[in-house]
Amino acid sequence: MEIPDTYYSKDEYVETASGNKVSRHTVLCGSQNIILNGKVIVQSGAIIRGDLANVRTGRYCVIGKNSVIRPPYKQFSKGIAFFPMHVGEHVFVGEGAVVSAATIGSYVYIGKNAIIGRRCVLKDCCAIEDGAVLPPETTVSSYMRYTARGTIEGGQGNPYFVPAAMQDEMINYTKSFYEHFVRAPAPAS
Amino acid sequence: MPSENRIKILPKAVVCEESSLRGDITFSSGCVVHPSATVIADAGPIIIGENCIIEEYATVAHRLEPGAVWDVNNILSIGTHNVFEVGCQVEAAKIGDKNVFESKCYVGPGVTVSSGCVVGAGIKIHGSQRLPENTIVYGEQGLQREAIDKQGSQTLQIDFLRKVLPNYHHLRKPNYDPKKARSVV
Amino acid sequence: MSFMQPSPVKYACSCGILNPINTLFFCRHCPKLRCGFCVTHEIESHFCSNCLENIPSTEARHKKNCCANCFDCPCCQHTLSARASTVPVVRKSEEAKEPKDGDSKGEATPPVPASSKPSAVPTTKKMYYLSCLSCRWTTRDVGIPDQGVATGTWPDNECLYQARFNALVEYFQAVVLQEKQEKLEFMRRKAPKQHKFPSLTDRTGLTVSLIRRQIGWNDKAPKAKAVITPAEATAEVEGLPENIFTEPLNLRNVTTITQRHSQPADQPTAVGSLYPQRRSLWIKRSLRCRQCEHNLIKPEYHPTSIKYRIQHFASYHVPEVVMVRCEQPLVAGKSNAILLKLTNPTIYDMTIRLLTASPPEDPQLSTEATRVAKEEPISSSPLLKAVGITLSRQNSTREVKRDVIDISNAEIVPLESEFVLNQRDDSKEFDEDVQLSTEEPKFIVWRKGNKVLLRLQFTPAEELSGLADVVLGFYMQYTYVNTVNNAQEKREPTTHVLHSRVFITAGATEQKAN
Repeated sequence: MEIPDTYYSKDEYVETASGNKVSRHTVLCGSQNIILNGKVIVQSGAIIRGDLANVRTGRYCVIGKNSVIRPPYKQFSKGIAFFPMHVGEHVFVGEGAVVSAATIGSYVYIGKNAIIGRRCVLKDCCAIEDGAVLPPETTVSSYMRYTARGTIEGGQGNPYFVPAAMQDEMINYTKSFYEHFVRAPAPAS
Repeated sequence: MPSENRIKILPKAVVCEESSLRGDITFSSGCVVHPSATVIADAGPIIIGENCIIEEYATVAHRLEPGAVWDVNNILSIGTHNVFEVGCQVEAAKIGDKNVFESKCYVGPGVTVSSGCVVGAGIKIHGSQRLPENTIVYGEQGLQREAIDKQGSQTLQIDFLRKVLPNYHHLRKPNYDPKKARSVV
Repeated sequence: MSFMQPSPVKYACSCGILNPINTLFFCRHCPKLRCGFCVTHEIESHFCSNCLENIPSTEARHKKNCCANCFDCPCCQHTLSARASTVPVVRKSEEAKEPKDGDSKGEATPPVPASSKPSAVPTTKKMYYLSCLSCRWTTRDVGIPDQGVATGTWPDNECLYQARFNALVEYFQAVVLQEKQEKLEFMRRKAPKQHKFPSLTDRTGLTVSLIRRQIGWNDKAPKAKAVITPAEATAEVEGLPENIFTEPLNLRNVTTITQRHSQPADQPTAVGSLYPQRRSLWIKRSLRCRQCEHNLIKPEYHPTSIKYRIQHFASYHVPEVVMVRCEQPLVAGKSNAILLKLTNPTIYDMTIRLLTASPPEDPQLSTEATRVAKEEPISSSPLLKAVGITLSRQNSTREVKRDVIDISNAEIVPLESEFVLNQRDDSKEFDEDVQLSTEEPKFIVWRKGNKVLLRLQFTPAEELSGLADVVLGFYMQYTYVNTVNNAQEKREPTTHVLHSRVFITAGATEQKAN
C-alpha cells in the first residue's frame, strides 16, 4: 500500500537546513545534546531526553507521535550513569513507543506503543511488533522479530517474520515517508 | 475541588515546571518530577512521600468517582521511594513504599499496592484487589510472583537527577519548609 | 508498512500460494517465483541471539544446540543477566559468604572495588548471580550459590533420568547409524550419485560419518550392537501425600505449564525447583530452489552481518505493483478505477501488459520447461527415483503444483495497449522531473524514472453484498532480461516474456447508495 501524504502546517513544523522536520509540540530536553543527522522527522508529542545523555540518530529516521526517546541508565555501586544512545539510519519509531535502548542499529522498525527497556540492543534489520514489551538488557539480533507475545522469531533467511530484503524495505519506507510528509498547501486567499 | 491549585513542594524536591499538576499536591523532599509528568488530585489531596520519581508522560491520578465531590479528608497517600516510569498511569487507592510502576502500566482505582511491588511494563491491573508485599506482576499475561527481597532503592538515580535536571529545566521553587512552618505556627 | 501489515497486493507463487512480494524469491535459472514453502531451507550457521556468538555446527551439536554462556529465566523465559554484588571476605574462614545485601541489587560491576577504607585490607570481592530483569527472578531465589566469575561456572541441572536418557540416546544413535549404513550400502550398489549438501533434517549427527565415507575415509563404525535394558512398567504407584488434601494451595508456588515445558527434563511442579535453562541457538538459513538446486539466498556467516552472498528477492527482478487508491468508494456493480504504481527494479526496460486471461507461454521457455520436466521431473538423479527412495533430505525435488485459486470478484477493463517501464537508474533519483516527449497511452497517469502510475478501470461484481472485499485479479505479463543462462553455448542475455498473476484486495464495498 502506498503511503498516503501526511500534511503538516507550516506553523507547526520547523525544517532545518539538513532537512530535519521537527514539530514544535515536542519536548527536546537538552537540545544541544541531540544530533539528528538529516531528513529526520520528529512528530508532535515526542520527547527526546538529551539532558540525560547524548542522543544521536542517523538519516531518515521517523520518531512517531508521543514517543519517548530516553537514554538508558546503569547503576553502579558508587552512583548511576546515563549512557549516550545511538540510533542508526532508516529507523522507524512508532507512535507512543518508549525507547530506552543502548543502541539501535539501522533499518529497524519499532511498532506502535512498543516498550524498549533499558540498555536493550537492537541490531540492524530487526523488527519490534506493535505493543511488544522488551525487558531491560534484551538483545534482538538482525532479522529477528520481537512479538507482542514476548517471543523472538525469525532469523536471516527465514522469510516468514522479517522480510529478507528488510534493508531495502526500510530504506523505501522511511524515504517515502519523508517524501510524503509534506507541508499543507497554503490556503487560497 | 478547590478553586485553585495548592502545590506544596518541600525543600530538596525537584519539580520541573513543564509538568502538569492539578489540585492539592504535596511533594516531600527528594522527589523528582520529570517534564510532561502529570499529577491530578481531583477527589482529594495527594501526598507523595520522600524520594519518589515521576517520569515523562506518567500520570498519577486521584480521580473523582461518579457523583463524588472534592473531599479534603480523602487523601491519596503515596509512600517513599516509589518510581513511576515513562507513560504509566496509576490511579491506585493507596501506595506503600519502594514500588516500581514500569512503563505504560495501568493500575486502576481500587487497587491497593503495599510495598516492594513491581508492576511490569505494559501490564493493566483492574478491579479491586490488594497486591501483597514484594509482588512482581510480569509478562504478557500479568502473572504474579513473590520476590525474595525488596527492590533496590533509587537514591543514586535521584542524586544524579537532582544534579542534572536544574541545568536544563526550569524548576518549581520549593515553597513549603516544614521547619519554618512549625516556627511560624 | 507492507511487511508489518497484510499487503493488499499478492502475487501467485509458482507453487500456487499467494504471497506479498516481499516474501517471494525469484529463481533466475527457472525463471520462476518461489516462496518460503516451495524452497529448501538449509542451515547456514548457528549463533546465539543473545551474545551474538557464531557457533560452528559441530560445537552446536555437541552443546545440544544451546549457548554455553547465556541462560533463560525459568520463570518467564526471558534472558538472564549477570549481576555483581560485593561480598565481604572474612579472612579466617571462607564460608561466611553472606552477601551484604541492601542495595547490592540491580547494581552492576563497580568500576573500582567498593570500599577503600585504609583500615580494611582488601576485604571485598565480587560475586555474581543471575537475575531476570523482567520478572525479577534471581538464582538466589532457588538457592544457587553465587559464582566468582560471571560466565562459565554455572552448574548444570542434572536431572534424575540423565544417565538413562544418555544410554537411550547412545543406543538409538547406534541403531540409526546402522540403518543408514545398510541403506547406503544399498544405494552404493544402485545409485552412483550422492547429494552434495548436508540437510536441515539431519538430526542424528551422522552427517560427518557420511561425508567421511563419501571422501573414502573408512568410518569408525561401531560394528558391535549396543544393548539397553528395556524399561519395565510397574503397577505400584505411590499414593498422594496426606497434606495435599489438608493444606491450602499457594498458587504462587506452583509452576505454570510454560515453566514446566521450558524445563522438559524434570518438569518441576514447585517454583523452588526452577533452574536457569541454557539458551537455544538460532540459525541463519539459506534457501535453495528445489527444481534447479541453485541458491536463492545465502546469508553471510557472521551473526551480526546483514548482508547476503546471494540474494534473489522477487523485488529485485519482478515489477512491483503497489496499490495507491481507488478513485471512488467501492460499490457492487458500479464501475470504478484503481490507481496502481508499478516499479521496474531491473536495469533493463520492461514491456508490460495487463491481461485478464492466461497468456500463451513463452515458447522457448515452455519447451525448455517441458524438456526439464520430461527428463528430471522428480530429482536430479533418475536412478534414485526408480529406486523410489530419496536420501534423508527433506526436499523431494518434486514440485507440488496446485492451481491458483481465483479469488477475484471484479471485472477488469483490460488496458488497450502494452507499455514500457523504464529501467532503474539510481542517478535519475537526483534529477528534476524529466518530461517525456513520447506519446503516452491514456491510462498512464504519470511517469517518473522507473515508476509508472496507471489507472485501471474495473467493476466490482454485481452479487457482492454488504462489506465484502473486492479482489482484482489479473495476469501481468512482462519482459525479463536474464543474464544467466542454462545453455552453455550462448553467453549474451536472453529476453523472456514472463507473467505472474497478481491479486489486489482493493477494500470492502460500501452499502449501495439508494
